[in-house]
Amino acid sequence: MNLERVPNEEKLGLCRKYYLGGFAFLPFLWLVNVVWFFREAFVKPAYTEQLQIKTYVKRSALGLLLWVAVLTTWITIYQHYRAQWGEVGDYISFTIPLGIP
Amino acid sequence: MDLVSKKWIFNVLLSMCFIGAACTSVEKKIYVHLNNTVPCVRLLNATHQIGCQSSLSGDVGVLHVLESEENLDFVLRTGLHPPYMVILEHRLFTRSIMMKLNNGSSRVAGVAVVAPDANPAEGFSPHNTCPNENTGVYSETYDPALAHCSTTVWNPLGNGLSYEEFDFPIFSLKDDNKTRFIRQCYFDHNRMVNGSSPQYPLCAMQLFSHMSAVTNTATCMRRNDLNLGITPEYVCDPLGDFNVWATTRPLNNTAKGHKMSESVVIAATRLDSRSFFFNIAPGAQSAASGFVTLLAAAHALRNITQEAPPNRTILYAFFQGETFDYIGSSRMVYDMENGQFLVDLDNIHSVLEVGQVGMRANSRLWLHSDPVSRRNGSIDEEVKTLVENIRSAVMTLNVSASEPNVSQPLPPSSFQRFLRSRPIPGVVIADHESSFSNRFYESMYDNAEYMRVSYPQNMTQEEQLQFVTDTAKALTEVATVLARALYKQAGGDQSQLSGINADPQIVTQMLYSFLIQSNNSWLQQIVPSDLAGHLKNTATNFYVGVMLQSSEPTHLVQHLLANLTGNVVNVTQQDCQNQRMEESDTVSKHTYTYTWVQGAVPPNATEREGYCVRSTVHLSKAVSPAFDLREFTSTDYSTWTESRWKTIKGRIFLVASHELEMVTLGVGVGVLLTSLLLTYVISSKADILFSSQREPTNATY
Repeated sequence: MNLERVPNEEKLGLCRKYYLGGFAFLPFLWLVNVVWFFREAFVKPAYTEQLQIKTYVKRSALGLLLWVAVLTTWITIYQHYRAQWGEVGDYISFTIPLGIP
Repeated sequence: MDLVSKKWIFNVLLSMCFIGAACTSVEKKIYVHLNNTVPCVRLLNATHQIGCQSSLSGDVGVLHVLESEENLDFVLRTGLHPPYMVILEHRLFTRSIMMKLNNGSSRVAGVAVVAPDANPAEGFSPHNTCPNENTGVYSETYDPALAHCSTTVWNPLGNGLSYEEFDFPIFSLKDDNKTRFIRQCYFDHNRMVNGSSPQYPLCAMQLFSHMSAVTNTATCMRRNDLNLGITPEYVCDPLGDFNVWATTRPLNNTAKGHKMSESVVIAATRLDSRSFFFNIAPGAQSAASGFVTLLAAAHALRNITQEAPPNRTILYAFFQGETFDYIGSSRMVYDMENGQFLVDLDNIHSVLEVGQVGMRANSRLWLHSDPVSRRNGSIDEEVKTLVENIRSAVMTLNVSASEPNVSQPLPPSSFQRFLRSRPIPGVVIADHESSFSNRFYESMYDNAEYMRVSYPQNMTQEEQLQFVTDTAKALTEVATVLARALYKQAGGDQSQLSGINADPQIVTQMLYSFLIQSNNSWLQQIVPSDLAGHLKNTATNFYVGVMLQSSEPTHLVQHLLANLTGNVVNVTQQDCQNQRMEESDTVSKHTYTYTWVQGAVPPNATEREGYCVRSTVHLSKAVSPAFDLREFTSTDYSTWTESRWKTIKGRIFLVASHELEMVTLGVGVGVLLTSLLLTYVISSKADILFSSQREPTNATY
């Protein structure tokens, strides 16, 4: 969809939907929201709905960052300590690499 | 589409065809694949992993032929092109060299050991000095003075390499054309000329033996159970197979557990061996000498036990997986304790085990017994009687049998697992007084050559099969002693003993079958047709292997025992395969096993004439109880598992220098980027570049 051809009210609706959808543990929706509406929120000349779009994009970006931080921390810990956790490490894994502890 | 473009497409397709066809030949031009490679694989137990493995994509190293131990310095320190793939003559395959390589494993990509055609003069055993140290009867609680081979080191030549863990792949190569080719490649490309290091390209080798299992048995069994994926990926399997057993008197095998008023003399031996490498386990002295003797003794006892049956039953037991912490015997004892076997431990009168008996010095046999259980007066009496029975069997023969002069524990033997359960009188017959006379215990040299099973030149296979070797004669003597002793021990009449004689012809045929080749006219006759295809033209591999694949000797021994102790019965093929004498017979399957064997080709005929053999031979599971109990950290039972793997292969090729590789990659990337840039420029300036030939704007596509 090309945002250029969409009226401003619909843009706001879309942005809100993506923002709210992100709360259902879907950080990728926030990522899409940030990338897609960045221009609309910060670059385009001001229009009535822009302020709200700006808020949604900012909050999406914040949520996204939080997710990235949490996931990075967890993945680092998991990859680093999985072998040491032994049994527990195996039980919380979906695929277990062959031939390494 | 005009003619020119059609021609272009045709050319492109044609050249693609060529590229496709050329792919295989390019691969062939780069790599030389090695056949006849035997890897060392990973095994795991309750606490450790042993063996070798490569990385998933194979380990690559520049070839270096090691000439002496001093030469190691080149591999581990001074060489300019690490990592190295070290080619070893077998005389250099020693503990000190291998451990140095293992410690410097960042500079070692792998090791290939060239196996010689003839056995080395000095001894070699990659096994432990104290085999099955922790699962025999001699623990700290049984008698601290005898634990851990503290009085007698059974295998003093053992260097323990089989129980080490290596970070790199180790392969064994036969000394053949390919190996000569490898050497040539090394001499042509990698050798120092006048002290200056060699120039690229260098000869390199890549070995693949990536193992799926890791850490220990508990870990790998857990990962077997945790398979969540769509295609289950199992990582390891328990070692195990089947024990073979038979009784001189038919007993009801369906009714397990204690048999009232039944007294059983167990004649035991082991069926398996191993070596450092995966599927070479010739086990001539360590396994075959013992069980061939017991088979011959069982044959010698066939008629007498049917005509003048002694009042006790003799149970012939051939245990599998004894090398790996007594898998077979521990399972049989476990089954006896739990009423899952034909008889239970209360039924056992005594045990007579045949150990390694192929290398007697001065025709002497040594009778080993357990000093701890003999402290009990009644057991001591029974053991004395048993020793006396063996001595009386020896009388008229050119053999002597004596007890060791010093008080020492039993050698590694299945009988120890019975003693672990309760004191039972028993003796282990062997050719060694203290440490093994076998200088190649559990190694690849414990073969026909070492047992001196050799034949005069220019003999056909058939003549070799029939030729009675000196080794066969010697083993026949032992088999006669054993048969007479068993008969006497089972309560048979002394006057009958002189009539019990083992047949040297059968012994020599068995030695030929197990140590030279199982695919011979004799075995073809006495196996069922489905097994005939599995007979091999090489020596039998006595490695027990995993449960899923049956071990080679098990079924051979099963049918040999049936043939040597059973009777030919006049039964149709259909009744025979349905385990009955006739259609109305529903009971004999509880006591007997019927086997329809191939038989010989009668003269003037083209097809074999099969017949039915009725015997008391049965198989029983030889899987460690630890796996049934799911106690993967058990210290009582064997916990050995074998890792699974996907590819085992080796190949050699020439490698270019690192700089050249980088330059090639850089040029490639450069060409790609330039072409991308060019395409971008051209497409953005297309209006200008192609303006003269611009097509009409109203053209439709």
